[in-house]
Amino acid sequence: METAGENSGFETAALEHVDALYGYAMTLTRDKSEAEDLVQETYLRAVRAANQPAPEGNLKAWLFVIMRNAWLNVMRHKHNGLRIFEFDGDEQTSGTANDATSNPHVVYLRKLERQQVRDAIAELPDAYREIVLLRDIEGFSYQEIATVLNCPAGTVMSRLGRARGKLREALSVRQKVQRLHG
Amino acid sequence: MKNCEEIRERLALYLDNELQGDERATVEAHVQSCFSCAAFVEKERAFLNAIRGNAPVHTASPALQTKVKEIVSGSKEASPQHSRLKWILPVAAAILVLILPVIVWRVVRQYNHPENGTASGFALMAAESHLRHSRGQLPLEMETTHPQDISAWFANKVNFNVKLPSYQESSGQEKLYTLEGARLVGYQNDYAAYVAYRMKDRPISLVITSDSVARPSGGEQIASRGLRFHFNAIDGLKVITWSDRGLTYALVSDLDERGQQSCIVCHEGTKDRDFIEPLKPH
Repeated sequence: METAGENSGFETAALEHVDALYGYAMTLTRDKSEAEDLVQETYLRAVRAANQPAPEGNLKAWLFVIMRNAWLNVMRHKHNGLRIFEFDGDEQTSGTANDATSNPHVVYLRKLERQQVRDAIAELPDAYREIVLLRDIEGFSYQEIATVLNCPAGTVMSRLGRARGKLREALSVRQKVQRLHG
Repeated sequence: MKNCEEIRERLALYLDNELQGDERATVEAHVQSCFSCAAFVEKERAFLNAIRGNAPVHTASPALQTKVKEIVSGSKEASPQHSRLKWILPVAAAILVLILPVIVWRVVRQYNHPENGTASGFALMAAESHLRHSRGQLPLEMETTHPQDISAWFANKVNFNVKLPSYQESSGQEKLYTLEGARLVGYQNDYAAYVAYRMKDRPISLVITSDSVARPSGGEQIASRGLRFHFNAIDGLKVITWSDRGLTYALVSDLDERGQQSCIVCHEGTKDRDFIEPLKPH
């Protein structure tokens, strides 16, 4: 059986997922410093376990599983309450390709839409925010998400449905408010 | 032909590319022929595109990327390549057969003479944590120079009370080392307390856990003031482990002094002469 560590491309392949893992760590921790610690802890664990079989040869999903387990371990010992999660200006975020437009009004509307989407995601309950990231940002399949979350694929489907429902509701409210004030 | 209600139950799966073959073809055929469901699909697709196109995408900082590269590049030694294993495994097996009697002899000898054993797992973990912290891979989670802040920070994080040894303060000794901060480290599926000190620009680490989780063992042993200290040299580091009042400690440094003499570096000048006298060479 192929293992995560036995191919010479492990290093290169593992490094390709640093940004994705950092994004997941930000979703879990809501804190830049904790997220960076979690990414390092994940890679340390991965290196130590590099001779174990990767699930279906999917290195990215395997790294996400390791990160989630590391985070659950931290949470079991922490009992931290709610913390503020902001997608603020300090965060390095990538824009969308359509930003190239020169129309200031269009740029403004897109910025507004992006901020609304980010605010709505940030306000989702932890489990919903996590599943939206795994599916809609990282593009994992339902089965891969089930592996990461250690739950049945049916649970993934229902939780994703509820998360999107909440998101749709939150965005609809924000757009109504925008129209009222616009 | 399925009705709209049945189809809409499957639309989330369809839009997430979770349907294959006949199932996918059935949904596609229905959507192409049903204006209402087609409109529904377009609305859902626009919603998903808005999420996917506007969601925050985080980028790891260059500093983090560098640290991760350092961690991963260390895996070269830990995980040999498959092609090398082809000849390494038989050779390793042959060596094992040759040295097995020696291993058995040493285990038996250690059982009969525990004071000559090898370093405990706890000592090894403490040395590894010290090295990782020195390399910047294990950043402190809190920083302070006050021992009471450390105790308060670990409350509710570990299932034992972290009480730092304070020979320096209690003895009125001249301040030779300073407290820097602390963090959690994993050990035996649980957390141990990691406390960082600095002495003359050299890092010193103290790792603490419950004595029900780890007991000091192996290495050169010496008793002082009712405590039994175990001295080990691990990867060029001096590691001293001991148990006291329900806790097990591992103190790690790169001090040059040999064995128990490294204790005297910090405790020289202490009024607790009964503590350091047994440690001095006679």
